[in-house]
Amino acid sequence: MARWGMVIDLDKCIGCQACSLACKAENDVPHGSPEEQAKRREPYWHRVIAAAEGEYPTQRWEFIPMPCMQCDQAPCTTVCPAKATYHREPDHIVVQDYRKCIGCRYCIVACPYGVRHFNFKDQEAKPYHHPDLPPTLAVRGMWPYPTRVRGVVEKCTFCFHRIDQALREGKEVGTDVVPACVEACPTRARAFGDLDDPESEVSQLLATRTWFRLREEMHTEPKVFYLPR
Amino acid sequence: MFSINRRTFIKLSALTGAAALATRFTRRPALAEPLIERPPEGVITDKYVATSCLNCATRCATRVRVTNGMAVKIAGNPLSQVSEGENCPRAHIGLQVLYDPDRLEGPMKRTNTAKGKGIDPKWTPISWGQALTEITDRLQALRAGGNPHKLVLFQGLNTISDEDVIRRFAAAYGTPNLISAEGLENEADMASEWLADGNFTQSAYDLANTNYILAFGANIVESQKPLARNLRMWGKMRRERPNRVKVVVVDPRYSITAAKADQWLPINPGTDAALAMAIAYVIITEKLYDADFVEKYTTGLDAYRQVVIESYRPEKVAPITGISAETIYKIAREFAATKPAIAWRGRGATGWPNGAYTGYAIFCLNALVGSIDVPGGVTYQINPEYKAMPALAEDDTAKKGKSQQRLDLGHTADFPAAETVTNQAADSIIAGRPYPAEIAIGFNSNFNMTAPATARWEEAMKKLPFYVHIAPSVSEMAEYADIVMPSPTFLEEWGYDHSPPGSGFAEVKLKQPAVAKLHDTMGIIDIIFELAGRLGGSITQSFAGMGRTAEEFVRFRTENLMNWQKWLDDGVWVNKSYKYYKYDSIFKTPSRKFEFRSGNLEARLKELGKSADEQAYLPHYEKADFFGDEKQYPLVLTTYHPVLKIESDVQNYPWAQEIYLAMHARGWGNFVEINKETAHELHIKDLDEVWVESPFGKLRAKARIFAGVHPHVVSIAMGQGHTAAGRWAKGIGINPNEITGVAYDRTSGQSAFYNTRVRVYRA
Repeated sequence: MARWGMVIDLDKCIGCQACSLACKAENDVPHGSPEEQAKRREPYWHRVIAAAEGEYPTQRWEFIPMPCMQCDQAPCTTVCPAKATYHREPDHIVVQDYRKCIGCRYCIVACPYGVRHFNFKDQEAKPYHHPDLPPTLAVRGMWPYPTRVRGVVEKCTFCFHRIDQALREGKEVGTDVVPACVEACPTRARAFGDLDDPESEVSQLLATRTWFRLREEMHTEPKVFYLPR
Repeated sequence: MFSINRRTFIKLSALTGAAALATRFTRRPALAEPLIERPPEGVITDKYVATSCLNCATRCATRVRVTNGMAVKIAGNPLSQVSEGENCPRAHIGLQVLYDPDRLEGPMKRTNTAKGKGIDPKWTPISWGQALTEITDRLQALRAGGNPHKLVLFQGLNTISDEDVIRRFAAAYGTPNLISAEGLENEADMASEWLADGNFTQSAYDLANTNYILAFGANIVESQKPLARNLRMWGKMRRERPNRVKVVVVDPRYSITAAKADQWLPINPGTDAALAMAIAYVIITEKLYDADFVEKYTTGLDAYRQVVIESYRPEKVAPITGISAETIYKIAREFAATKPAIAWRGRGATGWPNGAYTGYAIFCLNALVGSIDVPGGVTYQINPEYKAMPALAEDDTAKKGKSQQRLDLGHTADFPAAETVTNQAADSIIAGRPYPAEIAIGFNSNFNMTAPATARWEEAMKKLPFYVHIAPSVSEMAEYADIVMPSPTFLEEWGYDHSPPGSGFAEVKLKQPAVAKLHDTMGIIDIIFELAGRLGGSITQSFAGMGRTAEEFVRFRTENLMNWQKWLDDGVWVNKSYKYYKYDSIFKTPSRKFEFRSGNLEARLKELGKSADEQAYLPHYEKADFFGDEKQYPLVLTTYHPVLKIESDVQNYPWAQEIYLAMHARGWGNFVEINKETAHELHIKDLDEVWVESPFGKLRAKARIFAGVHPHVVSIAMGQGHTAAGRWAKGIGINPNEITGVAYDRTSGQSAFYNTRVRVYRA
């Protein structure tokens, strides 16, 4: 079975945040407010951070898109007392079961990448929210919409609903169907596919370019790879 | 609005035989919002509608996913070749533009006679019939008095189809006063190309094939149009070709473009022309120019060479620009040696009192290295040819009205190459010169936010006896309206559109309603058709024979390109053919060549009876005039447009607001960005509240210590500081235009944006 991974080319990425917006639109992630931003309580499944080094006039800035890193050795899964976050089988996407989550937020503390978010609020219904039903009713527990619940931790799912649907319809994941953030990238900085398939775009990129992963020293084995400039 | 949503939805469910599902509506208590009827779970109807975006002038083709009658997702249209199927982040905001809870829901009339900033207009709802009758009566009376020229039309960001109809209305009614926002944006840029080759347009750049970009104040990946194409091409230039394009950015502020470029040259503000001329010095003296092109297709090199050699030796220019002579030599040699290369003039370079000459100096670099109409160089945009409208019917009143001088003094000796001097219109209205304005209609305009020295627009709008505003939402300008008429958003209306210069080849995008109208709105085309029909005579005749509704009009204008069903299905028409090397047709100058000495300007000045010295015909650098004494106001205020500034100049969109400043990882406002050393001297720490004070006023905001700004400059993002309406925009951030002075590029009449000095101190 496929091992899904994402490759993000930082040479192409220009920090426009189309990915973050596409994620919000795809997954009905609620928008925040000035107050929530001040308290750092805004819900994001994906955001772009800016990292700067150096001083005027020779400084260097990078924009780093931050989805869930989908670690093979994910610290969040080992600390969860409720077994609410785990690698789903067979494709090893780290998922969150909202029925099981008790809202203790250990996983948020454990995540070295800060990509998990606690849902502090009841969601305002918006006309533009997707009404899609879960891929199958059996997985409703890790499906955030149509109706979200507050008091649980949420995170990027690698758009597993898209993957599942594509596989059901016999489409090719990585070419025909990709996560919303990958699809929305105007510079085409992102690639998605099977890391175990040497022919996939992601494998090709990793074979031909230098790459790095964030916080390699934590031995989390993330499946999101970055290509430096 | 929500009742309409619900009604629309129920209608739809009934149509699809799924009315029973309405019982599955779930009511959930919302926090800040009134209760909203939730659409049912599950997808009952689902389709993609090919339409296009209008969150900026690029007007990208999009596909909107419409589920159960609601737009739920906006994606690119793969058939579009301008952006190769991609959209910029602004496209996604379209959902919140459509479902903005603060939109206007129907026509309204003012009951409060007092007008002013922050004064409640006390609008009361009226019917469309009443609104149109009242406007028609006034327009008729003005025209009957022989004063059609006293009607002023303000134009913000509209579809090309709306623009065509508005322009025709102005021509048929008989007013020369169609004031577009171009005079705030691109006129200096356009005039600089006109000076050199006679095309009053922005340049297209062949990014797919270029090897070197020297960008002067051009924020290519944040605000330079066509944005989505620039973004797509950026990916290509970086990693989808065997050779990686080198990009050098000249800008006093470290924009995202500068951050992603290979080299950033923090130039002293307003000195781009000197740098461009010094680069020309190196190219000319070291004979690095394309001798063949220059010999065959240009004139005026001798005069140009003389001024370059006399005044612009890099050693002499270095202290002016703050860029070392070695760097200038190195960049110039690289630029000349790496073919094809592009010298790109952006608004940061041209938005100055000497902007057109700066743009001219930069544009000439392209000609020196032979990058004119070659693969990878400057190209000449082909605009689509829509089916022609029938001949205009003009009566004597219209002819007489149009022969009057424009209110904005365009095409006078003051602004010889101006099409629109947007900001001058405010002063003319206030002074009542050359004549008083009687009626004004604003189409999506919001000059009260976007023009420098906004207080003048407040005064001008107060002075207008009768103002009608047409837009989907309330803006700062709308607050002054006597009658406000809501138009639908771009996801609910018919139109056709094309992008500003960039792709070279022609492409048309259709706008078709993705969803049913949410409110009691009327599109601009329909409003004008209705007014024209009521005004009678030659005006009615001018609008005959091209359809009676917006849909019919769009169909009429586009039927020569493609059949209607294909339009509805594809949403895009492309003709990818582009021929390079059109040297026999692209130079619209007296010599029919590219001119380093502007014959066009000479002819225009002669026509206007104005004399000028020799220097005026040549690209050159002039020290910019600044507002404010350098001692009292030591810093220069510069502004920029972040990528999520929505160009309708309404910003009530939480998705855009919360991630507004990518570089600072903040949203919901803007900062006073200040260099670390400068801040240290002023005892300002990061996130301190500070005052920014210019000779014209002061603003309070949070300071941000930022390594990416020149030590003598402070920068503030545009797009915030709304005062009129919008729960997610009003009272958030500051608008730097409130404290800038009024200056113009003397050639094109474009407003200067960056020549106001300020001092910054802790609040």
